[in-house]
Amino acid sequence: MNKTLLFSVFIFTALGASAQRLIAKDAFIRFYSSTPMEDIEATTNTAVSVLDKTSGEVAFQVSIKNFTFDRALMQEHFNENYLESEKYPKASFQGKLVNPSAVKWGKDGVYSAHLKGKMNIHGVEREITTPVTFTLKSGQILLESTFYVQCVDYNIEVPTLVVAKIAEKIQVSVKTKYVPASK
Amino acid sequence: MKKFFGIVLWFLSVSVQAQEEDLMKLLNAVEGPAPKEYVSATFKGSRVVNLQTNEMPARGVGQLIISHRFGTINKEPLYNFFGLDVAQMRVEYSYSPTGWFNYGWGRSSANKTYDAFTKVRLFRQGHGGGSPVGIVWYSSSNINTTKYSDGIDHYFSDRLSYAHELIFARKFNETFSMEVVPSLVHFNLVETPDVPNDQWGVGVAARYKLGNRTALTAEYLARAYRPEAFYDPLSIGLDVETGGHVFQLHVSNARFMNDPSWMMQTPGSWVKGDLYFGFNLSRVFTHKAPKKAQAPELL
Repeated sequence: MNKTLLFSVFIFTALGASAQRLIAKDAFIRFYSSTPMEDIEATTNTAVSVLDKTSGEVAFQVSIKNFTFDRALMQEHFNENYLESEKYPKASFQGKLVNPSAVKWGKDGVYSAHLKGKMNIHGVEREITTPVTFTLKSGQILLESTFYVQCVDYNIEVPTLVVAKIAEKIQVSVKTKYVPASK
Repeated sequence: MKKFFGIVLWFLSVSVQAQEEDLMKLLNAVEGPAPKEYVSATFKGSRVVNLQTNEMPARGVGQLIISHRFGTINKEPLYNFFGLDVAQMRVEYSYSPTGWFNYGWGRSSANKTYDAFTKVRLFRQGHGGGSPVGIVWYSSSNINTTKYSDGIDHYFSDRLSYAHELIFARKFNETFSMEVVPSLVHFNLVETPDVPNDQWGVGVAARYKLGNRTALTAEYLARAYRPEAFYDPLSIGLDVETGGHVFQLHVSNARFMNDPSWMMQTPGSWVKGDLYFGFNLSRVFTHKAPKKAQAPELL
């Protein structure tokens, strides 16, 4: 083991790390609440995300105000009454792949893995684990994940008047296509 | 050699730690500076009670408002069930083809008045910078369609009157909003030559939120021309929001609902107890849904 070798290994790792970062400025997030009385859907493709292939870290951030509903009034209520976006303008997730070796970044294919990390919605931070799928195809990376969020877990108060129209568990779907960070 | 290896290891672990912070930094850098934001929901409804607010239905949304003003509270209240035996009513429908423009039609019982109105947003109150107030211009044209009983031949234009409101609204915080509304009413026909055709006033209104879905409101219009027969309209209301509806319940000395009448010709007086219960009930209809965001796909 000589100094030069060690040093070059070190430099290489450092350089490698920066090249392994991928970003997305147009990450897609969809909320879906389904009850016998009403289905409510909200979407946005303005979330931002960072993926670090080396460490298996993934982070997301989205402005609550950017979610679009079918009805403008629902959107207003969502911001004003439920998510209180004035007080809590953003939701975020920061986590790591539980089994980073499950994804072979150099090889095309569909890989299933689990993400574990901190979800922050409505000012409440919770530890969550969610299944995630990476689809790799000729240099493109697509992340997909679907999980459920319980309103009570994040102190989101649903008044008794509309309790039949809003599901207790809201389905959240995330779909992100990454591009290299250097761009 | 061992020592050197240790240093490198330490260095590596530090760099990993820094990396985690870097990730959030990078995320914020990717997100870029926050776009210019505007204050929303200064008031719950497009009206406080009778006075317009700076709010209007969103782009592609139509709004139906049905309003009632019952009979006077102080005239044989028990016999007349606090005035609820009789009612003046108004129905209006408006539509917003864009987020800053709204137009509509209405019909009010008082003087069997038909009206057409437009509402234009000129400025929005900024969030952290930008304009300190939201400014909206509202105008209505009103046609009195009652039969004349004075035996005089009238022009059609005699039936017309106009109201203009320039709304300066500010949301001070999550619970308190206020507006000042310089107003002008023009009557094509007035009863005597010494009554001015143009009558000015300044409206003041406020909203105080009691909870996420209820709010106390009040409005007052001070008139420049003050004949003895009429009083300044003052109303106190409660906004209740239930999903797609907004209920506005109130007590007011103004019983008329078409703009020229309630603004300049309110015969009731608070001091004398000429008060009326009333409500506005609004319901919105989405004509055009906003565009949905598209999920990214692999090429």
